[in-house]
Amino acid sequence: MTDLRHAKVSRGQFLRLMGGLAVAAAATACSTRPQTAAPSGSAAATDLKFVGVADQKAPMDELIAAYRKVRPEVRLTASYAPTDQVQTSLRTQLGAGNAPDLHVVYPGNGSAMSMSQIAGAGLLADLSGQSWTGTIPTGFKPALQVDGKTMMYSAGSSVIGAIYNTKVFEKAGVEAPPTTWTEFLALCDKLKKSGVAPIALGAQTPWVTQLITYALVPSTVYAKDPAFDDKQLAGQATFAESGWRQAMEMYLELNERGFFNDKPNGTTFEQQISMVATGRAAMAIQVSAVLPDFRKSASSPGDLSMFPVPGADSADQVWIPAGVVVGLGAGAKGGNVEAATAFIDFLGRQESINSWAKAISAIPLTQDANSTIDPAVQSFLPFTKDRAVPFMDQRWPNAEVQPVHFAVVQELLAGKATIDEALKKMDEAYQK
Amino acid sequence: MIRRFSALSPSWLFAAPALLVYAVVVLYPSVAGVLYAFTDWSGIGEGMSFVGLANFQAILDDEQAMGSLGNTLLLTLAVVIVQNGVGLLLALGVHAKLRSRALLRVVFFAPVVVSPVMVAFLWKYVYNPDPSAGLNGLLGLEVDWLGDPSVALWSIAGMVVWQYAGYSMVIFLAGLEGIPAELHEAAMIDGAGPLQRFRYVTWPLLAPALTINLMLSTIGGLKLFDQVFAATNGGPGYATETLSTVLYKQAFVFGKFGYSTAIALVLALFVAAVSLVQISYLRSREVAQ
Repeated sequence: MTDLRHAKVSRGQFLRLMGGLAVAAAATACSTRPQTAAPSGSAAATDLKFVGVADQKAPMDELIAAYRKVRPEVRLTASYAPTDQVQTSLRTQLGAGNAPDLHVVYPGNGSAMSMSQIAGAGLLADLSGQSWTGTIPTGFKPALQVDGKTMMYSAGSSVIGAIYNTKVFEKAGVEAPPTTWTEFLALCDKLKKSGVAPIALGAQTPWVTQLITYALVPSTVYAKDPAFDDKQLAGQATFAESGWRQAMEMYLELNERGFFNDKPNGTTFEQQISMVATGRAAMAIQVSAVLPDFRKSASSPGDLSMFPVPGADSADQVWIPAGVVVGLGAGAKGGNVEAATAFIDFLGRQESINSWAKAISAIPLTQDANSTIDPAVQSFLPFTKDRAVPFMDQRWPNAEVQPVHFAVVQELLAGKATIDEALKKMDEAYQK
Repeated sequence: MIRRFSALSPSWLFAAPALLVYAVVVLYPSVAGVLYAFTDWSGIGEGMSFVGLANFQAILDDEQAMGSLGNTLLLTLAVVIVQNGVGLLLALGVHAKLRSRALLRVVFFAPVVVSPVMVAFLWKYVYNPDPSAGLNGLLGLEVDWLGDPSVALWSIAGMVVWQYAGYSMVIFLAGLEGIPAELHEAAMIDGAGPLQRFRYVTWPLLAPALTINLMLSTIGGLKLFDQVFAATNGGPGYATETLSTVLYKQAFVFGKFGYSTAIALVLALFVAAVSLVQISYLRSREVAQ
């Protein structure tokens, strides 16, 4: 047998060999190329790709199946991942110019994947021509629109409040949810005495840290000054010199009185869910969109309900946070913009809005006779008319304030920072 | 005979496809990255301006970046010392004539092949703050391993050491296998005890293995990202923020791709400089011995 290591190859032989390999490779590539042409007699197929976050899987799976019946020639492939991973991979794709046709978009302007940031780079298709955009409630327009143009779809709004285990409340002798801050503290005291952690807090998961301030700030800031966001944008108001200080003090009061589970900075969101679902903790201050996750972990899902966290000592001064839920947009630069926006138009139909909102316990963007609202969030409805404000980050001017908020809350809980220092850092981030 | 260089010689032509791939996959992105470091690009869209050295100036003024440099150096120091110390002890242990040494080698090396992200998730269970669970339950402690800012950085170091001590062990083991048995026998005849044999025979001859281990663990420590990101995301607060997590956040959370690339460039140059100084010192020490 010839020893290949010592075989001599002339330059001509080498070039012929490489040429042959190239032809063989090309032939192989052609033979394995996927068949994209539509079968004769049918309309040309369109392949759309959607990249979303895990929370969107349930409603999207349902609506993709429904869309297939309406437009069988459109094949929509969806993939989902946790928020951090999607943020990394999707921003990379957006930067490289190979973004999917449809992708997750966060309302407002508070994160790197938010509507204003992506639309500002010219990467979101304008949806303003679609009929559903004409019915967007006025209060939600800043979250979904830039300069009057609708750049993302969302099925509705979710609220932040206390998800609680009704069995644990009953066992502790609690008859009704509290309506003032004093009653809330008394409730926590009663629960603590009954031997459970009153509030489960998974502050190791960064986004969980913000929810208690978000639940309180509507009452401590916006109930007194509904134009706070505009004043802050104009440089006439700051975190440090506003009701944010009071909200932080209330947050720390809960910690100092031992109303949280032990070591909240070492506790994750998943552990927080488990504590409430299994009755080791009485409640968790959370966004209503995660109610399905709590129910999945509970042996009896009907035991879980929600109530607004009263951030004021007078019930009529209690306001709540109600924010537009994470939605999606169509890429402006892809080759399937028309097909992608057509899918969003389908999502904008009232029955699609109802279906999506139901899957994540949200309040539908617009409502008809078939709209359903999760019984757990019914107690929030009286507030939504004139005592609700969007989630705070949706109007922040950059993506830096939110992570700073996460970090300073962890520092406050660990006793490594003062409220003054925390609010100063947030003000500095706001100015960037 | 002097061989004439020719780009069309068969050796260059054989290497050409690999060089082409290397140029496209490694060289081009690296050069482009360097260029982005001098811009204010957000990572998406086409708006981009040349900002000169502004990004590098901003690093010096960035409290978070400078704080993370301190964390990175502390973490690297801890990992380098403990990982190599444990690796050496493990290597000496499994080098002994034990019946189970083959099995032990596999057991100690096994964590190396696990994904760093998986290791972080696994250790989140080990570091459960509940006094009755994980390490606390085992040792009867009540430590908030990942939630206490004064402990979290060392907890991360612990999981990194757990994962890579086996890697150091293998390199030390290769060094130990290369020491001729005759040297130990001669030392024994001369009356040297086990400690003296280690001090005067084993340790000097392990110098090349030590050089490699110190360099690899230093580079690994300075670039540490996965375990930190998956376990604490840089928190609580900024307690475990490293240069790598800061540059990730600047790019993908804050949308400051140009600034992030400047940090990456500084980090790469820093790693290269530290490695060069380290290797030149350790090599000179090897020669001296």
